[in-house]
Amino acid sequence: MKIALPLILAVGLAGAAVAQDAGKSVWQGIYTAEQAQRGAGVYAQRCGACHGAALNGTGEAPPLIGGEFVSHWDTMTVGDLYDRVRTTMPQNDPMSLTREEYADVLAFLLKNNGFPVGSQPLDKRSEVLATIGITAEKPAGM
Amino acid sequence: MKIISTLPLSVAAALMLTTSALAQTPGKEGVAAARTTNGVANWTTYNADLKGSRYSPLDQINASNFKDLEIAWRFKTDILGSRPEYKLESTPLAVDGVIYTTGGTRRAVVALNGATGELLWQYAMHEGKRSAESPRALSGRGLSYWTDGTKRRILYVTIGYRLVSLDADTGRPDPEFGTNGVVDLKTDFDQDLGDLDTGEVGVHSAPAVSGNTIIIGAAFREGFTPRTSNNTKGYVRAFDVRTGKRLWTFHTVPKPGEFGYDTWLNKSADVNGNTGVWTQVSVDEELGLAYLAVESATSDFFGGKRPGNNLFANSLVAVDLKTGQRRWHYQLIHHEIWDLDNSSAPLLMDVTVDGKPKKVVGLPSKQGFFYVFDRATGQPVWPIKEVKVPKGNVPGEWYSPTQPIPSKPPLYARNGVEEKDLIDFTPDLKKKALELTSKYVLGPVYTPPIVSTPEKFGVINNWAQGGTNWPGGSFDPESGIAYVYACGACISSTGLLPPPAGLSDIPLVVGVAGQPVVMIKGPGEGAGADSPAPATPPGAGSGPPRLAVDGLPLVKPPYGTISAIDVNNGTIKWQIAHGETPDFVRNHPTIKAMGGIPRTGQATYQIGTLVTKTLVIAGENQFTRTEDRPRGAMLRAYDKQTGAEVGAVFMPSTQSGSPMTYMVGGKQYIIVPTSGGNASGEFLAYALPSKR
Repeated sequence: MKIALPLILAVGLAGAAVAQDAGKSVWQGIYTAEQAQRGAGVYAQRCGACHGAALNGTGEAPPLIGGEFVSHWDTMTVGDLYDRVRTTMPQNDPMSLTREEYADVLAFLLKNNGFPVGSQPLDKRSEVLATIGITAEKPAGM
Repeated sequence: MKIISTLPLSVAAALMLTTSALAQTPGKEGVAAARTTNGVANWTTYNADLKGSRYSPLDQINASNFKDLEIAWRFKTDILGSRPEYKLESTPLAVDGVIYTTGGTRRAVVALNGATGELLWQYAMHEGKRSAESPRALSGRGLSYWTDGTKRRILYVTIGYRLVSLDADTGRPDPEFGTNGVVDLKTDFDQDLGDLDTGEVGVHSAPAVSGNTIIIGAAFREGFTPRTSNNTKGYVRAFDVRTGKRLWTFHTVPKPGEFGYDTWLNKSADVNGNTGVWTQVSVDEELGLAYLAVESATSDFFGGKRPGNNLFANSLVAVDLKTGQRRWHYQLIHHEIWDLDNSSAPLLMDVTVDGKPKKVVGLPSKQGFFYVFDRATGQPVWPIKEVKVPKGNVPGEWYSPTQPIPSKPPLYARNGVEEKDLIDFTPDLKKKALELTSKYVLGPVYTPPIVSTPEKFGVINNWAQGGTNWPGGSFDPESGIAYVYACGACISSTGLLPPPAGLSDIPLVVGVAGQPVVMIKGPGEGAGADSPAPATPPGAGSGPPRLAVDGLPLVKPPYGTISAIDVNNGTIKWQIAHGETPDFVRNHPTIKAMGGIPRTGQATYQIGTLVTKTLVIAGENQFTRTEDRPRGAMLRAYDKQTGAEVGAVFMPSTQSGSPMTYMVGGKQYIIVPTSGGNASGEFLAYALPSKR
């Protein structure tokens, strides 16, 4: 995969650097269809009221789909995204889902943004998810 | 329970056990040590001055060295609340080497050493339910400074709508102000809010302080899905800066017998609300006038319960600074139903029109018009014509047959979405855009909202977040040129549907045919330090299909611009796209196949500009990654005369509040409030390297 490692290290994006070390990518099928399916249910219950049924956002809640969302997380890690969601969402009651539920929601978001389904579910540990890099563009050869 | 903390944090516990005199000492010593008059230039109000300029004459940082700027210090706001904030919008003040700002989900106040960023004191009010219920949570836009030469005070409004006066040296509340330093703004309001915890009102602008007068506005939940048309009224009040005593109240919704009451037909002024002033108030201290940019009445897109033109909604009102009496007003939109509420601080400019010096007030807007008036009389400097506009067909709505359209300066931002605005990089993209928009209504500015149906979901528009939003404009007092950021692609679709039982007493609120109508949250609602707020009911909110074509924005670039508007002659001197082309556009296969496109700017409503002796400075609000740098955003400087970019420096996070500049110890600094995405609130202070 192509991540400009020296530049990233230079500005101290440690999470992305870890991702590079492990060489895992969000393009490699890192969640299961079942997980995303479960996540859809959790999303509808706990997220959709603000972020919208079609993930398009409402009011001040931003869209969770499309180029702007994905490129916002470019060169970050799935762990970064996971912890952002886990520690701040739902906005009125952060950390109120289980780690498994947060992972399921993340799988749902990844699926809706066109990242491929795989055979292994997303881990629920932030430190493991921090080894999976997000790149907006599909790296050559993947 | 209310707990007030004033501290250097490291000694907080000890201080609580000691006397207040001892408690003051560390903050006092820190401020005393940081204070200096050596090589200082100050920034003493939110907008640099009460005229709204965001201008500083400093020029140490200029075109020749802007690219060399480096981060001198950074101040993270995570600890100023129970959770991090991702929407830091506060612009700090600089007074004799000390920085004062609000920050964090608690909206705490901090004093920092301007040369190092070291925390000198911190103050926070814990307001419990009242803060959790506030329509305007988070850190706010900032605070104000006042001195009579002896006393020095910091004034701000808490999340729970309390006005607080702090000793600038110690961070302790001023015992002579209000009750122990606090005025409860939910009382003495010429209206009964009922329960003071839940009564809906707040504000996140910085108080305007002129002489001994503090002026405070009001803000509410967003107006897409209000609970009731009879919401709190956004009266504007003034208070004595020494005592906190209320001096006057201006009824933005007139009471019976007052001027303008008859512009609310069927006595509807009695049963409608909002109409607050949530943006900054500007003051002409020589003329003794305060300028109020008043927002819309309830609700944003349906006004059937308030027939008539609805003064002073959507008006610019000049009131006497001493009495609050209206001197003049001009309504910019009659019976507003587009969420095109007044968003920007009035810009009080001294210009030369047709060879004659003229004191004017300019007002940027969401609708891309820059309105200019003689600020003593309210007369338009260039004709503003009442132009016939289309009447809609929403049941129960009342329509104004005309709207005021300025003849000069020309439109500076997209204010309608028509076929000519649609993406047309290729014929195929244009074709797809037309297919997509066949399910919507397109039209120019003031195209009325519609009831959402499966055939037509809504009106595609640039209303709520388009044009110039809360950061407002800036100007150069020497040249009479205004510099104004505007979003050209902050588009959405707006349709109306009846609310489900119990949601609202308004017949039609924002919704999408085929999807449930749910309460839409406003800025920071439920995200403050005292949340959790009441849980959101389960269920999916409505949102129409994405307004994108093959993943690209539906409308043509530029997505965001900075315009230089020459207010001497009402022309646009230059206009540039501000912001790197978003990655998902720049890297799109179609764009690559075209060999790229000119810089597009970015669709955001968060950008405020800073003007210096020679530069216009603004950061970016979106993360991008280019071939020569990692993911981040750029702080850019433009030549004031030409708009040419003369330098840019990397920011690890994105600009979310308006930048300011100051000098201490002979060194010029620029502070950028940043946050967004994975980055919580942080002030970045830039300066030139000491050794080059």
